[in-house]
Amino acid sequence: MEHIEKSRFAHVGESAHDREAIARPSLTFAQDAIRRLVKNRVALVCVLLIILLSAMSAFAPLFSPFDYREQHYSHTNAKMFTVCNEEGTPGFGHMHIFGTDTLGRDLYTRLWMGGRVSLIIAVTTAIIDLILGCIYGGISGYFGGTLDIIMMRLLEIINGIPYLIIVILLMMVLEPGMLTIIIAYSVVGWIPMARLVRGQVVALKQQEYVAAAEAMGASPARVIAKHLLPNTLSVVIVRVTLAIPNAIFSEAYLSYIGLGIPLPRCSWGSLAQLGIQNFRMYPWQLLIPAVCISLTMLAFNMFGDGLRDAFDPKLRR
Amino acid sequence: MARYIIKRLIYAILTLFVLITLVFFMMRMLPGDPFLGEKAISATALANMNAKYGLDKPVFIQYLMYMGNCLTGDLGMSITYNRPVTEIVTESFMVSADLGIRALIFATIAGILLGAIAAIKRGTIVDSLSMFVAMIGVSVPSFILGAVFQYFLGLQLRKMLGMNIFPIQGWGTFKHTLLPAFALGLGSLATVSRLMRTSMLDVLSSDYIKTARSKGLSQGQIMWRHALRNAVMPVVTIMGPTVASVLTGTFVIESIFNIPGLGKYFVTSIKDLDYTMIGGTVVFYGALLIICTLVVDLLYGFIDPRVKLEE
Amino acid sequence: MAERVLTIEDLRVSFDTYAGEVQAVRGVTLHVDEGEVLAVVGESGCGKSVTAQTIMKLNPMPPARIKGGKIDLAGHDIVKASDKEMQKIRGNEVAMIFQDPMTCMNPTTQVGKQIVESIKLHKKLNHAEAKAEAIRCLEQVRIPNPEERAKQYPHEFSGGMRQRAMIAMALSCNPKLLIADEPTTALDVTIQAQIMELLGELKDKINTAIILITHDLGVVAGIADRVAVMYAGKVVETGTTDEIFYEHKHPYTEALLRSLPSTDQGKREPLMSIPGTPPDLLAPPKGCGFAARCRHCMQICKEEQPPEFELSTGHKASCWLLHPDCPSAEERGAK
Repeated sequence: MEHIEKSRFAHVGESAHDREAIARPSLTFAQDAIRRLVKNRVALVCVLLIILLSAMSAFAPLFSPFDYREQHYSHTNAKMFTVCNEEGTPGFGHMHIFGTDTLGRDLYTRLWMGGRVSLIIAVTTAIIDLILGCIYGGISGYFGGTLDIIMMRLLEIINGIPYLIIVILLMMVLEPGMLTIIIAYSVVGWIPMARLVRGQVVALKQQEYVAAAEAMGASPARVIAKHLLPNTLSVVIVRVTLAIPNAIFSEAYLSYIGLGIPLPRCSWGSLAQLGIQNFRMYPWQLLIPAVCISLTMLAFNMFGDGLRDAFDPKLRR
Repeated sequence: MARYIIKRLIYAILTLFVLITLVFFMMRMLPGDPFLGEKAISATALANMNAKYGLDKPVFIQYLMYMGNCLTGDLGMSITYNRPVTEIVTESFMVSADLGIRALIFATIAGILLGAIAAIKRGTIVDSLSMFVAMIGVSVPSFILGAVFQYFLGLQLRKMLGMNIFPIQGWGTFKHTLLPAFALGLGSLATVSRLMRTSMLDVLSSDYIKTARSKGLSQGQIMWRHALRNAVMPVVTIMGPTVASVLTGTFVIESIFNIPGLGKYFVTSIKDLDYTMIGGTVVFYGALLIICTLVVDLLYGFIDPRVKLEE
Repeated sequence: MAERVLTIEDLRVSFDTYAGEVQAVRGVTLHVDEGEVLAVVGESGCGKSVTAQTIMKLNPMPPARIKGGKIDLAGHDIVKASDKEMQKIRGNEVAMIFQDPMTCMNPTTQVGKQIVESIKLHKKLNHAEAKAEAIRCLEQVRIPNPEERAKQYPHEFSGGMRQRAMIAMALSCNPKLLIADEPTTALDVTIQAQIMELLGELKDKINTAIILITHDLGVVAGIADRVAVMYAGKVVETGTTDEIFYEHKHPYTEALLRSLPSTDQGKREPLMSIPGTPPDLLAPPKGCGFAARCRHCMQICKEEQPPEFELSTGHKASCWLLHPDCPSAEERGAK
């Protein structure tokens, strides 16, 4: 055996610093989630897409030379990129980027006006779902007992009726308009959210770490803020993100069966519905709103998936 | 198990009760007389109708009568067609059911396979591709899919090949069912395959799959005997909502493909403001879906041995 | 002399993770003979389970990767074996029972069927014979009413009963080697003793070699013939059970033993713990893995990995203290 210098056997002893050393950087929950989200290229592209579509819906109609109601009888069903030849109108000489519809209305302007309606309906509905769902589910889950049983049985009964059927019924009865659509969607739309929140609250109440925090003397406020909320929030945020495409779908679906926003206003759904009627002659009249609907749903769905993966690395697949 | 069945049954009956009540009061809230649509009916006929449906009686009695009529299968008279709604429903629903079942079978089988394959081949191009298809299915509404299929697979393909492979209108032959069933099923296929993939990945990383591997089972045996059966369980639980989404999907698909099913009648009746028809169809669809969900729930109790103990 | 069932030489296993390569096993050498129980002990995360699962190639690859070394199991070269060959070896030559019996059985398949499946795979028996054999296996692990129990689902079994059923399943094809990966960790203490007793009994009855993986040295004493102490992906000391308990030379072994509660009423020693955690094998230490937590740590421990010193036949330890040039404690400057 080779000889080793005595000096190298000098006593060092244990070192408190090294023995607890962790090679991986430590991150807070939010930091970790954001890091994973930013790493997810697809989700980032989806965010950009959502921003782009929202920005176009918000600003494009303002800068368009055409009004969304303005009809140009001299060139109805115009092709894409047709230049307006109707003298005396403010849009004269400007281009109908996406052509015009059967009544000669500029489809580019209508598309983004429709985007406003669709997106506002979707986002508002999602927020109302969130608020109602959190309150109902939170109360039911937090108090538990008989109240919980009654509240949940009630939901179970209403939940047995398909969502779209209730919405159709409501839309028949109420005065047509954007507010009606939002109300109709929200009347039963919050039920899944309430069940989700309730489930989360019940599950979290039983978690050992909550009991541990309480045992260590954490105040209820601290338990809620530090332990319950962050763990529920991630699931809830993901559900909200996924509720938006659902609302966009419902809007499009109902517009198709004739229960959409009344004319002359439009939404992506009603544009698609009108487009289907002219589809064989002028396919772009359907394809353009269809692409907008699909892209928005796709972007929100994929962003929701990305968020879920970011919040819950276990689910990352 | 018996308790579980009874509990589910009670829920189903209560839901049906709520639905019929809802329909009744909404019909009452509608403007105008339910029998005074666009088409004029003779005064005697109107009096007969009013007597038959008890419109001259107090609301509560009317409600009870309506409930009784619904339960005995009398859904009222359609104003546009001037025929009993029940008659139209029984006649046209077979077509819708045919289309719906085809779409459902296609969606479930293809969805389960797609999801399972994606999970097994996780991280490969097969996985990405399957999930991309599923994403499209989730994100494109069925009526847009229907119209796009009509245009590209129907019209353009016929122009190209000079052959009518996929008819885009009507009903009758097997060929006619292809495009509508595909357009109708794709959304559910996507949902099923996404759920199946997640659930399959869960199962694949579970301990009992490790046990199965440690026994020396081949990959194929593990998938078939252990993974698939357990992974399909969560898919069974969403079959209720899937049936609902396929059935509501028939409304639009039938009117796009001009298929003489109940959905087409329903959409037309909405456009014509044929209230009895709407109310009757809604009650029928609601009842149907409630029964479907009930059956699915009970089925789940039978195939998953764990449910028996918990309930 | 008993036949050698398993030989592992200088096994190295790594996991490729998003953060980099985690060197879970860094050169493990082990062997087990027929009818022998080898206990592999160590804290969580020191590579015990990874080593065990690599013997059966149960680690998903990727991310796991065998970087080097040899595994010889009853004449089969495991490292080079194809999937097909592994399928014949698993269950037949080597079987495994896992930590959590609650999750280790397929919840939707009857217990008996799960055992029959294994038997039919490796033995040429028809269904009725396999069924009878499965019931015999259940009987062997002392499950009452085996005929009826075989028809039940795992959730109808208690935890201890499930672990028995797992043992029955593992031993159904008379494997040469049984790997028990923390078989009692998830069970109640009273059940733990029963399971260990059962394992000891079965070992004598069917002459299977057993690798018992555990972090509980108390479990080891009663059943093991030899012990291998693992730390940070390496075997730091091996020897017979007596050698490890009474003549241990490695400070980590010593620390592990001192952290055992003593049931001896006469001695009233305070219970010791080992402060700190094992090193993160994402960036393994240059020198001895235990250096940072070792109260005898010397300069060289931090710089160079200690070689293995053979203390007597079969008793080996890797520690610089055992080097012939190592001076006495006073000369080193230790207290």
